[in-house]
Amino acid sequence: MANKPGKKKSDKGALQLLRSRTTYLIIIILVIGFGAIISRLAYLQLIQGSYLQEKAVEQQLRDTTISAKRGTIYDAKGKVLAQSASVWKVVLAPAYFENNTQRKYVAKGLSEILELKYKDVYKKTKQKSYYVIIKSKIETDARNKVLKFMDKVSDKYRKLSNVIDLVDDYKRYYPYGDLASSVIGFTGSDDQGLEGVEYKYDEYLTGTPGRRITAKNGNQTDMPFQYEQNEDPEDGNSITLTVDETIQSIAEKYMKQGIIDNNVINRGVCIIMDVNTGAILAMVTADGYDLNNPYDLPQGDLDAIRQLPEDKRAVAESSALSAMWRNKAIADTYYPGSVFKMCTASMALNEGLVNENSTFSCGGVYTVGGEHIGCHLRSGHGTQNFYQCIYNSCNPAFIQIGFKIGAEKYWNYYKAFGFSKRTDIDLPGESEDIFFSEDGSMSEVDLAVSSFGQGISITPIQMITACSAVVNGGKVMQPYVVQSIADAEGNVIKNVEPTVKRQVISQETSKKMCEFLERNSVQGGAYNGYIAGYHVGGKTGTSEKLKSTNGSKDYIASFCGFAPANDPKVACLVFFDTPKGNSYYGAQVSSPVFINIMSEVLPYLEIQTEYTDDEIQYIDTVAGSYIGLSTEKAEKQAKSDGFTVTIKGEGDKVISQIPSPATKIPTDGNVVLYTDEESESQTVTVPNLVGYNISEVNSVATAYGLNVSITGSILSSGAVAVSQSIDPGSLVSQGTVVTVKFGSTGTVTD
Amino acid sequence: MLPFAQVMQKADTNKYYDEKLRQSQAALKRRSSSSSRGRRTLEKSKLFMRGMGLDLPFLLLVLVLVIIGLIMMFSASYPIAYYSSKTENDSYFYLKRQLIFAVCGVAAMLGISFFNYNKLHKLAPIFLGVSYLALLLVLIIPSEGVKRWFEIGPFSFQASELTKFAIILFFAHWGSIYYDKMQYAKYSVLPGVVIFGSTAVLLILEPHYSGIVIIGLLTILMLYLSGMRLFYLAVGGVVLGFAVIVAWATGLLTYAMTRMDGWGQALEYTTPEMWQTTWQTRNSLYAIGSGGLFGLGLGQSRQKYLYLPEPQNDFIFAIVCEELGLIGAIIILLIFALLVWRGITLSLRAKDRFGKLLGIGLSSQIGIQVILNILVITDWLPNTGISLPFFSYGGSSLVMLLAQMGLVLSISRTANIEKQ
Repeated sequence: MANKPGKKKSDKGALQLLRSRTTYLIIIILVIGFGAIISRLAYLQLIQGSYLQEKAVEQQLRDTTISAKRGTIYDAKGKVLAQSASVWKVVLAPAYFENNTQRKYVAKGLSEILELKYKDVYKKTKQKSYYVIIKSKIETDARNKVLKFMDKVSDKYRKLSNVIDLVDDYKRYYPYGDLASSVIGFTGSDDQGLEGVEYKYDEYLTGTPGRRITAKNGNQTDMPFQYEQNEDPEDGNSITLTVDETIQSIAEKYMKQGIIDNNVINRGVCIIMDVNTGAILAMVTADGYDLNNPYDLPQGDLDAIRQLPEDKRAVAESSALSAMWRNKAIADTYYPGSVFKMCTASMALNEGLVNENSTFSCGGVYTVGGEHIGCHLRSGHGTQNFYQCIYNSCNPAFIQIGFKIGAEKYWNYYKAFGFSKRTDIDLPGESEDIFFSEDGSMSEVDLAVSSFGQGISITPIQMITACSAVVNGGKVMQPYVVQSIADAEGNVIKNVEPTVKRQVISQETSKKMCEFLERNSVQGGAYNGYIAGYHVGGKTGTSEKLKSTNGSKDYIASFCGFAPANDPKVACLVFFDTPKGNSYYGAQVSSPVFINIMSEVLPYLEIQTEYTDDEIQYIDTVAGSYIGLSTEKAEKQAKSDGFTVTIKGEGDKVISQIPSPATKIPTDGNVVLYTDEESESQTVTVPNLVGYNISEVNSVATAYGLNVSITGSILSSGAVAVSQSIDPGSLVSQGTVVTVKFGSTGTVTD
Repeated sequence: MLPFAQVMQKADTNKYYDEKLRQSQAALKRRSSSSSRGRRTLEKSKLFMRGMGLDLPFLLLVLVLVIIGLIMMFSASYPIAYYSSKTENDSYFYLKRQLIFAVCGVAAMLGISFFNYNKLHKLAPIFLGVSYLALLLVLIIPSEGVKRWFEIGPFSFQASELTKFAIILFFAHWGSIYYDKMQYAKYSVLPGVVIFGSTAVLLILEPHYSGIVIIGLLTILMLYLSGMRLFYLAVGGVVLGFAVIVAWATGLLTYAMTRMDGWGQALEYTTPEMWQTTWQTRNSLYAIGSGGLFGLGLGQSRQKYLYLPEPQNDFIFAIVCEELGLIGAIIILLIFALLVWRGITLSLRAKDRFGKLLGIGLSSQIGIQVILNILVITDWLPNTGISLPFFSYGGSSLVMLLAQMGLVLSISRTANIEKQ
């Protein structure tokens, strides 16, 4: 301001100033300004680009999960045990609602169709969301109603055409209800396996859920311009079990009956195993539970829970549920009792410590380390050979055998038979057995009691696996319930081959054991599992439980047998926990159930019958057809078929016959031939046959002109009829076949 | 880039031959006319000029920006137009209107290029007066919320658009008269403070803070060019800073404050309110980031689907970045830069000081607006509403902008003469 430059000079100076300042201006705007914004954009688009894009995509895309169909579970014969069927999820997008009239209308409609409380649905319509689940797993009927209602809504309010949506989902169905419930298991609300095979093979069954990615705009509605990306769900693999529905059903039928007959408090277990492969053909925990409603407790439990104070009910309910779901066959440990003697005997035999002629004496009581261990026969068995020890199930004899083996070898065999470790069957929840010590050391008393199966807690699956090893030539097999896994297209992706874990005893020892155990069953009759026509071997067992109910001691009654004894194919373990009926002995509680099961299972498995001469006479045959033949000719033919003949009436042609053609008749039965109509109406009254022995039953039947078909065990000494198929007093035609079941009263109480 | 370079080269070649011709013509004229001064007065008195070269590169750059702007405005606006019942769910709603204004604007620009800008010299104070009147009128006319616009039928006109022009015009006028006294505070600081101050008061009442910022920058720019001492500029800066602090403290900046909230925190929001406040800026950043280097492709923006509010207005360049990527964005910014550069350099050649100042001011204004706009959409400035020239939707501002470009073209005609 000090100098006042001349005008001319300032004119030129001002121009120069303008030029230089313009240069600065260009630098400021174009270099600094534009440089800054370009750098800023480059930073955002290149360095922060992927982060920002990720954030943008996150809000732009709607990611919906599409459920995958869970794989089917089949039995060994391809029958469906568990299957997923389509159901639907009703989803609401309440953000579309514009007013309460619309909300009320939709809430009313949906609550009526889906049988929900109007208030609850209305509450959901108030949410500002595009995805509110109204109801899951609705079935076809409800779905059709919802579809109709959706049309109605979009007709009435054009803007609400997308407010209700049906999303595909699946629900698990178990066609056989409670069959093999502890093996199959069930799934939870999210289709995840919770028990059994459903749990163990969850990753195979689940499949991979798909995704539907749709673009949405800022209002959360789908873009009008289609943008959709689908990732199809991959359906789960199907699983084929080794369990056969027919065998399982047979086993369950008789196990349930056994529980009722013997007033069993703590349920029962039956395992049927293919001895040569380790495949489980049936695994029963009776009573089971309905897989379709796994949270429904039986009435008895519910009543018991209702008795409890309110604060304890929830705990009681959940423990009752877990007890119900528990797979006793693998999760419970028990003292195997005398059944274990087959293992002890195998050890001694295999080590050459005993042979068939070794003798052992029993005085009713045996003293070990100052402790008196009694035999079940107080008077003592006297001197017995090795086989008789098994047949008598003599504890003092087995203590002596045990001492011959010694603690170290006993422990080694114990481990080799697969005890000391879980069998690793492919089912969840298997327990470990409990031995006296972890390193196998034990006292004299321990060795003494363990030689007859007390003091060692094992699981039923370990017992039957060991039994299989005893009879199959000495191979300890890996037990398994899943035979194969196939993908959604049916291609087998995994097939289980039998695995031999180890050879525990020699083939000869095994063969001898089979022989002994078969003789045991034949001589012991029904009490040791005898079934006419089949070579069956087995061993009974009754073991004390440490726990007792109501002051009286609790027992486990078990039977473990196999067939055919000359070429073992299947083993079956029957086990009842705490029978409180007339008897608690394995021989009386479990053997009959074993016989009933095997009598049906063995024919189903097409195991060849081999009758002894004694048995043959009691075998039924089939009546021929003599109708239409002349009386003379018919009589001749029937006689040549081995039957006795009774002719009724005066006619010269046979017009009917009893038994009818092709029906069952004993091999030496009586065929009644009717030659006129009058004679046909003649009847006889069925007498009472129960309580008589076989010869008595036969003579009574002959006197009445009836045929008798004999079932049950007949070869044991004191066999008497226990039931008859036609009640006494019924009026029947002569020649009618009455099926009579025989049972016996043995002396073995173990 | 390449096509534009070629166009400009071609234009320059043309210009070279044009000049040769003109030089010969001018030589003839010089002989006939008595003095150069006489010719100047003659030209000053003429309302229209004819036969003199218009700067073709500048015109082409403007037209290229108008066309790219229209395309991008359509791309950015069609989803929002489709979804809104206000626009009758017509995807072409914004395009149709902008197209009409673009045509009118280009026509106005070409018309004005023939207009003798010197006629505005004396009109400058009147323009300033009119702009004050307009600013007062918007305050008086009853409307809800902010009072920035005149509603004329379906169209609206932003009063500050006129003010920006009036300020540039007035200071070009002032600076060309008192060019030798600009180093005195009385001639530089005083009019600057008075005019900017009074305008700012009116804009605060609207309120329109981004307008204040732009007008403040334009005032400083014009005074700086006119020769104001840098010392005053520094003092002014300190005073301005102080004023802002005072306004802040007294709560005068309430409206701006709400917009300042969340500035720079669009991605690190902490509260639901903040989430709402920074919605537009955040989605702008998402859009820009999504573009990456090459962009999603023309028309492929996803953020314009109701995520980025009003994508056709101030935040249009975010959609441009998303669709055309960094490369597209840089190309467009370079076209802007070329336009600014060409506008400033051609104005420097104007034969009178008024023309120089007016042309540089108008050209620089484009650059300033572009920079401020991009700084806003990238969250480096608070979200205050600064439109992007030639791109943002708004008929009146487009026409106004093109009219101003017409003035620059008019200046270019004389600039070419001065070369003689």
